[in-house]
Amino acid sequence: MSQPLMLPQGWEARWDPQSSAYVYVDQNTGRSQWELPTQPTYPSAHPSSSPPPADASAAAPAHTRSGRRHYPTAQIQQMYAGGGYEQSSQATQQPLAPTYPDQNAAPQFFTPGMAGQEQQQPPQPQYPSQAPGYQQPAYGQQPPVDQMSQQFQQMNMAQKGGAGYADQKQYRNVQTINLIGMQPDVRGLEAPPPPALLPPNASVTQSPYSQPDPSYQRCTLNAMPTTQSLLNKSKLPLALVMAPYRSFRESDGDIPVPVVEDSVIARCRRCRAYINPYVKFIEGGNRWKCCMCGLSNEVPQLFDWDQREGKPADRWARKELNHSVVEFIAPTEYMVRPPQPPVYAFVIDVSQAAVQSGMVATAARTILESLDSIPNADKRTKIAIIAVSTSLHFFSLPAGATEATMLVVPDLTDVFLPKPVDLLVNIDESRAAIESLLSRLSDMFQDSYTVGNALGSGLQAAFQLVGKIGGKIIALSASLPSLGEGALKARDDPKLLGTSKESSLLNSASSFYKTFAIECSSKQVSVDMFLFSASYTDVATLSALPRYTAGQTYLYPGFNASRAEDAIKFSTEFGKVLAMPIGLEGVIRVRATRGIRLSAFYGNFFTRSTDLVALPVVPLDQNYVIELQLEDDLKAPFVVLQAGILFTTCYGERRIRVITQAMPTTDNIGELYASADPTAIASYLTMKAVEKSMTSSLDDARSLVTNNLGTMLSIYKNQVTSAAGASAQLAVPDNLKLLPLLCCALVKHVGLREGAQIPPDLRSYAQALLTTLPTQALVPYIHPRFYSLHNMPADAGTIGENGQVILPPALNLTSERLERHGLFLIEDGQNMFLWVGHEAVPRLVQDVFDIPAYSDLAGGKATLPVLDNPFSQRVNAIIAKTRELRRGVYRPHLYIVKSDAEPALRSWALSLLVEDRMDHMSSYAQYLTTVKNKVNGSS
Amino acid sequence: MGGEGWLFLFAVLMAAILLFTMVFFIIMFSDLECDYINPIDLCNKLNQFVLPEMIAHAFLTLCFLLSGQWLAFLLNAPLVGYNVNKIMGKNHMYDATEIFRTLSGHKKESFIKLGFYLVSFFYYLYRMILALISGEWLGW
Repeated sequence: MSQPLMLPQGWEARWDPQSSAYVYVDQNTGRSQWELPTQPTYPSAHPSSSPPPADASAAAPAHTRSGRRHYPTAQIQQMYAGGGYEQSSQATQQPLAPTYPDQNAAPQFFTPGMAGQEQQQPPQPQYPSQAPGYQQPAYGQQPPVDQMSQQFQQMNMAQKGGAGYADQKQYRNVQTINLIGMQPDVRGLEAPPPPALLPPNASVTQSPYSQPDPSYQRCTLNAMPTTQSLLNKSKLPLALVMAPYRSFRESDGDIPVPVVEDSVIARCRRCRAYINPYVKFIEGGNRWKCCMCGLSNEVPQLFDWDQREGKPADRWARKELNHSVVEFIAPTEYMVRPPQPPVYAFVIDVSQAAVQSGMVATAARTILESLDSIPNADKRTKIAIIAVSTSLHFFSLPAGATEATMLVVPDLTDVFLPKPVDLLVNIDESRAAIESLLSRLSDMFQDSYTVGNALGSGLQAAFQLVGKIGGKIIALSASLPSLGEGALKARDDPKLLGTSKESSLLNSASSFYKTFAIECSSKQVSVDMFLFSASYTDVATLSALPRYTAGQTYLYPGFNASRAEDAIKFSTEFGKVLAMPIGLEGVIRVRATRGIRLSAFYGNFFTRSTDLVALPVVPLDQNYVIELQLEDDLKAPFVVLQAGILFTTCYGERRIRVITQAMPTTDNIGELYASADPTAIASYLTMKAVEKSMTSSLDDARSLVTNNLGTMLSIYKNQVTSAAGASAQLAVPDNLKLLPLLCCALVKHVGLREGAQIPPDLRSYAQALLTTLPTQALVPYIHPRFYSLHNMPADAGTIGENGQVILPPALNLTSERLERHGLFLIEDGQNMFLWVGHEAVPRLVQDVFDIPAYSDLAGGKATLPVLDNPFSQRVNAIIAKTRELRRGVYRPHLYIVKSDAEPALRSWALSLLVEDRMDHMSSYAQYLTTVKNKVNGSS
Repeated sequence: MGGEGWLFLFAVLMAAILLFTMVFFIIMFSDLECDYINPIDLCNKLNQFVLPEMIAHAFLTLCFLLSGQWLAFLLNAPLVGYNVNKIMGKNHMYDATEIFRTLSGHKKESFIKLGFYLVSFFYYLYRMILALISGEWLGW
């Protein structure tokens, strides 16, 4: 994973306007490079610490090969081929001048009493104010060469002048490109956001980890506007996109969250912000100045004391001053009650439909297999099982017993527990009874022909069981709840689909699930929904319960356990949910520099106050979006946004995870655009659009996305490029060049798409995913990945140098790329489609599917055989890699799609190719024209 | 004092009660913003008053209609219509899950209602005094 914000000590990322990429400068040696310094670098080819000549033409030593001559071609490539992403940045290398020689070479040590403020903050040299090379980039035409060299000179001078920081008026240069007639470079979708160019010494330790990885927290803008009027003028959204409780995988290069071992938690007395790398130490280091409210606080006595060793410690080595993401171990002041054990209550539908589909058997087997992986580090985990059909079946699982006793409660209106004890039991003490129950569960109801599902009453019973402690209710339902509390009716009227009334089907039908969710949330109970039905199950209503209790909805349409693929998918995902190291009794609070206000929250949780959201159970890898507003003008050179999540780990420890992000302020509208993060904006627009589709209509939701994009770009055109009147081009800042593609894909996504064929269940489920997937999974879910397998490069599908399987290059999502003899893979993280062209050579079919000819191939859900030939192994490796590529529990189904059979499956796969025209939805080119007309119309 | 006087005396009292209800609503909303009350308690508390307020207002309007006070009736009719529309759409109750997203709207609505009740309070007072002056003082 590339993490441009996490540079090693002494490194700095600088925006190079000429090549529209970041150049990384080692401040100690003056070495510059285009690669991330964490990765293998050039064998120091640069002459270290010698400033380059002012003349750019002379500044082309060995490896800057034709830096100047290459440049215009590189830009053309970027404009017209759209593939110039790497070439251009490689070609325009040039050494950069050193700025602060040896400024931070040695770690700063703090000597109490001796050190004054000056010692901690290296003196800031006063450099002459140099006019920046801020010129209007002219897109679509080549700048003359002499102008170019002039720019180079200016740039060099400006860099001598302290990298532009000494000069407050130097703005990040924004590169405008035209999108019309250009194919988007889909490889850029995974690109990291533009870095926040903080003033030097913003962070007290200059640690490379003083900015969070974008997967934890990212902001739509990486430069904060100083006034709300500037923000309003730019029409850019300002929102935080975060997944604070994120999983980590060492194989991906993730570092575990550092934990502050001692219980010294320094917080601001007034605003309660946690100490972070952006505070200032004053009065000889005895006090610290809060970076949010400016209050001077005392440094805690034990802050410089190593409690374990019993000797003074180096303050600058403290984790909370070096890392933007840290965890504190919370003392008892942070607890309302002693840490509770993890509690799981399973509410399993055992009606005829559920038993016959094999759901009950698969679920019981998965729970049985997962008993060891359910978080139970301190042997306190409790479990309860309730089976629901037309009556409630409780199971008494006394400790030490080998058999479970079933207790049936037929009363559904006034739910009561048949027994005060032994229904919610310790997983270890009652292990034998639990195992015997789970192995027999499906057989017990095998002969029942009861039709009816009292899910609501079952949930109430589970709530009575776990409500005293709090925990997780996992509901598995294979039919529409039809009895007792919260009974629902099949309300999917096909006549409503595609009309403005369709949004009523996306809203809750019964208020029971919402009020029950509020009750659950206040008792620290979270609900996960696993829905299986072959027919309508009203996902819209049932998903309200997970939405407000920080749970998650999972849908398995047409589930049938006799199909191995279905059973594997469900049991893998269910197993991962059970093994998830959940956090309990969580709250998230976001604090920001004074003047910034949180205005709206989006995600699965209950908003308990204007700045606090409650998550009874904190699941891994869920995405939250928080909209920000500016109440006051911001005066400081940079602002700090801090998210704190307080939760109890599943092994009984109260913890606070603090994520601190800093970004500079700007009063320049061009810089706002240059710092905008397209992924975060897309994530924000997704949340807004889904909300709009419920409150208003799907039509309005789609136009919300397109109008937002249109106004953003028209302001950009008028205010930044100062082009007036109608134009045949669509001017877009270089960093947002993929935003129109994401917006186009979003309005064509199954959750928002126009059309009368999408079942409301699938739409609701897609919307639930859109609002919860972390950005890493959301981007492919909106804009699927498309690979060509029959002609992939030789190293694709093999293990690369970093031990990971190499994936083939992603293609543009257009059917032009489909070849009649080819083999293609389209995947969006939820489903994978293996597209086989009808002229596929028998050899290919034989190698991959072990079938002699294309005509014998069957489409549909499938598992690929692993055959003894390199091609099959590579294809299997790519599929396996894709399945575990992203964070989350999902295991996508693999569908084999024949290009000339099964029209439904075929059109489903083709609907993922969003750059194409579908039915009456516009293609990417048409979408751009629509946006361009909006831009021209409003100017 | 004739029927008209009594009617407007009643109306003045009702308007005062409604006025206080609105003040109460606004105070509660500000409390929520300042985090003195959690949204669940707030909604439980306020929802008790939503229907009584609407019924009281509708009853007053009905009184005006029956007694033929056309101007007073027309003044109140739009609000009755608005309330009925809200009840029909089933969104008259405060929803704890959505309250923060809709808070500004609720506050605005409460302020407008407050202003409306204030204006109508003085109008009823004026009509009551008018009725008292023109009434048959000698009658009692």
